[in-house]
Amino acid sequence: MAATHASLQAGQVAMTTAPAEQPRIRIRDVTLSYGALQIIGGISVDIAAGETISIIGPSGCGKTTLLRMLAGLARPTTGTVELDGAVLGGPDRSVAIVFQDYGKALLPWRTAAGNVSLALEARGCPAKERPVIIRELLDKIGLGRHADKYPSEMSGGMQQRLQIARCLAQEPKVLLMDEPFGALDAMTRQALQDEVLALVATTGATMVFVTHDLEEAIYLGDRIVCLQPNPGRIGRTVEVRLPRPRDQLVTREDPEFLRLRRELYDLIKDDHQ
Amino acid sequence: MNNLSLRRLLLGLLGLAAFILVWKLITDAKLVSPIFFPSPQRTLTSLINGLGGGPLLGQTLETVERMLLGWLLASLVGIMLGALIGVSRRARAYIAPTLELLRPLPASAMIPIAIAFLGFSDQMVLVVIAFGALWPMLLATIHGFAAMEPRLYEVSAVLGLTRLQIIWKLALPSAMPMILASLRLGLTISLILAVVGEMLASREGLGQSVLLASRSFRSADLFAGIVILGAIGLVGSRLLSAAERRLLRWQATSR
Repeated sequence: MAATHASLQAGQVAMTTAPAEQPRIRIRDVTLSYGALQIIGGISVDIAAGETISIIGPSGCGKTTLLRMLAGLARPTTGTVELDGAVLGGPDRSVAIVFQDYGKALLPWRTAAGNVSLALEARGCPAKERPVIIRELLDKIGLGRHADKYPSEMSGGMQQRLQIARCLAQEPKVLLMDEPFGALDAMTRQALQDEVLALVATTGATMVFVTHDLEEAIYLGDRIVCLQPNPGRIGRTVEVRLPRPRDQLVTREDPEFLRLRRELYDLIKDDHQ
Repeated sequence: MNNLSLRRLLLGLLGLAAFILVWKLITDAKLVSPIFFPSPQRTLTSLINGLGGGPLLGQTLETVERMLLGWLLASLVGIMLGALIGVSRRARAYIAPTLELLRPLPASAMIPIAIAFLGFSDQMVLVVIAFGALWPMLLATIHGFAAMEPRLYEVSAVLGLTRLQIIWKLALPSAMPMILASLRLGLTISLILAVVGEMLASREGLGQSVLLASRSFRSADLFAGIVILGAIGLVGSRLLSAAERRLLRWQATSR
């Protein structure tokens, strides 16, 4: 049950049971400003190990900025992001991020296998062990037969799969996803949603998934954080009490799914007015 | 596709044949005195004699060696220096404007300076070639590094790549299309400067041979030398194009 250790009041948790289970990620009073312009205006969230959080909100609400701070690619102006209790000072190999623009995030001069290899080279994996790991990862993500293809020879869905495989090669504790399926067609998107859920379930990774697609947010998440713009802050946090494993047909027809969709829709709609 | 390249080759040969024909017509009509302008046949004879028993083969090898050494030197220095400057935004800001100022300086203007320091020597010619051919490689590497996809810097930060790994695994390959184009340009400049250097410093080679032939009104020898110089340029450029196609095959497939 994600709900038990997902308390928003960090102080309260510390007061109660003695060694309160440490959240994997703790976002504490984080703000971010560029000069006089405040992008993020005070966000606090705890994310438990193994939890999947969806972040939604209208464009310009700071979803991506928040994710970049979790990746260590942006520094909060005030407040801290903690990973396993230690303040995150910059990018960390145990936090992987899947960018939306897979075309720019992959190395066009390396094959699929070569792109996955980059992550292994970065963490000093011996050259002899790499082929086996690469093979395994590509098989896992459904690219086993395309190891020797260059990104330019692959479809968008395959390229995004490849980026995910490279992130998995980092052996991350946290997987950050920045609207990863936004540019893909509906069928590919659903297939990838299920694959990512299966991967997260087997690796036990914590996932933070930014999307503007409400249904995707519900389908994937244990909790949904709804951001509001100007400056970006948490509007509401919604628990998703849908059974796992999720199923594209059954889950999406669940009355709870429909209720959540309505609730979130109303919430987002208000922001757009 | 194979058909297409065959057709292109045939068209190219046809153009060359037309060029030689016009050349022959002009010389046959004696529009220009044969003392200055030999016929294609005389040029060919001189070419065959020169390459057979004559000095032309040795001179060709001298010039090619000079060109290749200078070009290699320029490429190594250019790419390494370019990588050092290109990898740091601050270094680029400091150094790039000065380089832009030095670049348009004609390499031949360096020759008197090089002569003053090194005399009429092979080293002098080599230095002039290397200096002149350096610029395309240096600037292409700097620009290639600067033009690297910013997303890739973020990817490398998240993966935890070291600075050296970023240069070697990301920046250099991403700058490779620009660097390869500059290598071709650099080779052309090397050939030009090898010839000029030989002429000015009287070093053994095609440049000197062509100059001497011109001074003694041996127009057929002069043109034979020029034909070989053209062939050297063509072969060099073709070899580099082939290397380019091979190294950039990840790009060719993106159509």
